[in-house]
Amino acid sequence: MEKVKAIAPLGGMKKENMMSMIRAILPVVGLVLVFLLFNTLTAGRMTMNMSLVLSQVYVIMISAMGVFFIMTMGGLDFSQGSILGISSIVVCYLSQYGVVIAILGGIAAGAIIGMINAYFYVYRKIKSFIVTICTMFLFRGFIKYLTTNAPVSGSATLINYDSTALKLTCTIIILVCGFVAFRYTRFGTGLRAIGAGEKAAMFAGIRTDRMKFWVYVLSGAITGFAAFINVIKVGSVTSSGGNQLETQILIALVLGGMPISGGAKVRFENIIVGSLLYIVLNSGLTMMGFSTQMLQLIEGVVFLVFVAIFADRESLSVIK
Amino acid sequence: MSDDIRLEVKHLCKSFGITKAVNDVSFNVRKGTIHALIGENGSGKSTLTNMLTGIYSIDSGEFILDGKKIHPKNQVEANNEGVSIIVQELGTLSGLTVAENIFLGHEDMFVKAGIKNTAAMNRKATELLKKYGFDNIKANKMVDEYNFEDRKLVEIIKATYFHPKVVVIDETTTALSQEGREELYKHMYRIREEGGSVIFISHDLQEVLEMSDDITILRDGQYIDTIRACDVVEEQLKTLMVGREVTGAYYRNDYGDKISDEVVLSVKDVTVPGELKNINFELHKGEILGFGGLSESGMHEIGKAVFGASYDREGEVRLEDGTTINDIPTAIKHSIAYTSKDRDNESVVMNMSIRDNICLPSLNMLGNKLHLQSDRRNKKFANKFAKDISVKMVNTDQFVSQLSGGNKQKVVLARWIGKDSDIVVLDSPTRGIDIKVKQDIYQLMDQMRKNGKSIIMISEELMELIGMCDRIIIMKDGKISGQINRSEEVNEHSLIEMMV
Repeated sequence: MEKVKAIAPLGGMKKENMMSMIRAILPVVGLVLVFLLFNTLTAGRMTMNMSLVLSQVYVIMISAMGVFFIMTMGGLDFSQGSILGISSIVVCYLSQYGVVIAILGGIAAGAIIGMINAYFYVYRKIKSFIVTICTMFLFRGFIKYLTTNAPVSGSATLINYDSTALKLTCTIIILVCGFVAFRYTRFGTGLRAIGAGEKAAMFAGIRTDRMKFWVYVLSGAITGFAAFINVIKVGSVTSSGGNQLETQILIALVLGGMPISGGAKVRFENIIVGSLLYIVLNSGLTMMGFSTQMLQLIEGVVFLVFVAIFADRESLSVIK
Repeated sequence: MSDDIRLEVKHLCKSFGITKAVNDVSFNVRKGTIHALIGENGSGKSTLTNMLTGIYSIDSGEFILDGKKIHPKNQVEANNEGVSIIVQELGTLSGLTVAENIFLGHEDMFVKAGIKNTAAMNRKATELLKKYGFDNIKANKMVDEYNFEDRKLVEIIKATYFHPKVVVIDETTTALSQEGREELYKHMYRIREEGGSVIFISHDLQEVLEMSDDITILRDGQYIDTIRACDVVEEQLKTLMVGREVTGAYYRNDYGDKISDEVVLSVKDVTVPGELKNINFELHKGEILGFGGLSESGMHEIGKAVFGASYDREGEVRLEDGTTINDIPTAIKHSIAYTSKDRDNESVVMNMSIRDNICLPSLNMLGNKLHLQSDRRNKKFANKFAKDISVKMVNTDQFVSQLSGGNKQKVVLARWIGKDSDIVVLDSPTRGIDIKVKQDIYQLMDQMRKNGKSIIMISEELMELIGMCDRIIIMKDGKISGQINRSEEVNEHSLIEMMV
């Protein structure tokens, strides 16, 4: 009897530690395992088609960074797909005037939609997921309208930019900038503080409203840039351009180990590991010959399992 | 009073990670007594009662109530066993009516064939409100419509209407005004007369001695002793709690010091709708200026108004150099610090590390030429100031949510000492904090004063205002109703007269 008493608290502690260990390493281990698994199952086709697999990751990874910032603050953004669609259309239109103008135009378009989200979220005090679901539908409508007769296609010269080197470089530059800002500036600490306790963050001197506003604008702008990467790959935008990007980002971040409520426990690695894991999973299943329907079903199950593991139940109530 | 035992606590243990919050505690609570549970912050009082009322699970050990082992898994089960609790913070749920709050978890009483009879519930609640004498509270109104005090009264009904065998009152009195306390005392006596037992947690030792029959002392999660209240005096209790002789002055002991004529902050015609009306005062260099009053007197808003945190404030808060303070970042930039009464929501960022919490307002200063932060530098900074005022922690990476109330307050203070603020606004700085940390905070305030910092101290505890302040301003209904200068002759009664 005495022995049991002494051991009981220890057992509890081990379980707690093990859980946080699992949370920390599961995404990375998962990535390696899933990669090896699909390689074996597809007889090495995955490694051979690495650049094809990777070509899908850039857009998700870049836009996931903006959403990562938003989610760190405890917000959500479901309008990413529509932002990508609209920005892609703008990039296509402007590409005949030059590539720089096209890129800037895409960024501006994204930033403006971000600003609309931010205005309603911050100054009209509507929950972010409600606002962004509304703007998602609103701008999806615009995209459908603009592509009614035919897909919008960009200037033919755009295809010339479609090289792995360029896309990889852009992605790396953006991620490095984001990493430094998140990890080594007041910006990052402020984001985490807002996610962990907004009111207290305000009383510690953080301009919370201003910060929330500009993070939504920033996230829109980042996805606006991702639209350029998207357009040089696909060449034209159809009515479904950018469709479901928001869910893909959300799944990627959660697969990467990001707690849905944000706060101080998020890690920048979540973006990279998560996006890769999502793409490997996605391409692997496709290569295995699963149908789209089957794909969604499997991904849904995986998503649910990961959310269940990573949900930070203590602070779930702070989703804004 | 009898020697019959109501509740036996046997070899109780509870750990959080590596911390043993309650370590093999055993004692008995007699029938028909008020049994005080005292100890410093983090000594395990709340952990113990939370296990009794089913809020925490029990690691090992047992509770035996009237000879029967009980093991409640939640508060409703605890209620069914005859145990209830009135918690330290708000224990009523917003968005529900008064009646719904009272009968939360026990709606079955009013359910027939799956349908809840709201009218019957309201009737029963009204009956109870009347019986308790809380006529101003209406059973069918949303609980949100009532202030903190009235909501506490609702909790009193909720916890006692079913004649429980054991009622836990956890640190409730510090949040109440004198009037609310009297009300609570009345019901504690009533429960005792009815043969029930009250487990009473309080940091106010005078109150403990006055109210209780037995006193159990805990220290660092361990049982120290259980004594009859009539056999001890306050000093002995302090010694037992801290584990050593508590010596030295509790408050300041200097009188007649001249306050500097230099005005560091002046408040002109400040009005906050519904809170403050035309407030004017000046804060001098090296002064501790106290604000007292009833909790609804608007005094807590003074702190927010000075810190630029009030919503819709009119009037002017001006510093010595002419800067006007209208928002929090400006206030912090110009060396004003503020600790809120609502520590968990407005002072500390709960789900964040001690390091980040301490560094937050100083991030500008901590950045290098390129405004980049360094983990090493921030860690060193946080460590220095946390160690300086001895925050009890594993390391600065620990989350603030794991700390006890007193240590959270220390983290907030470390933050502002680190920022080297010249004007420090402390709202209820010692609320719910044990004597040892209290003493630390008083000493710290005295030290700051001597270093030429100016302090505004807002408090509901009149003794600490009298003990610490150079001047005390008393508030009533959002206005200043009087002012008293520091002297040995000031006593509570002269202040209370101005308050009501």
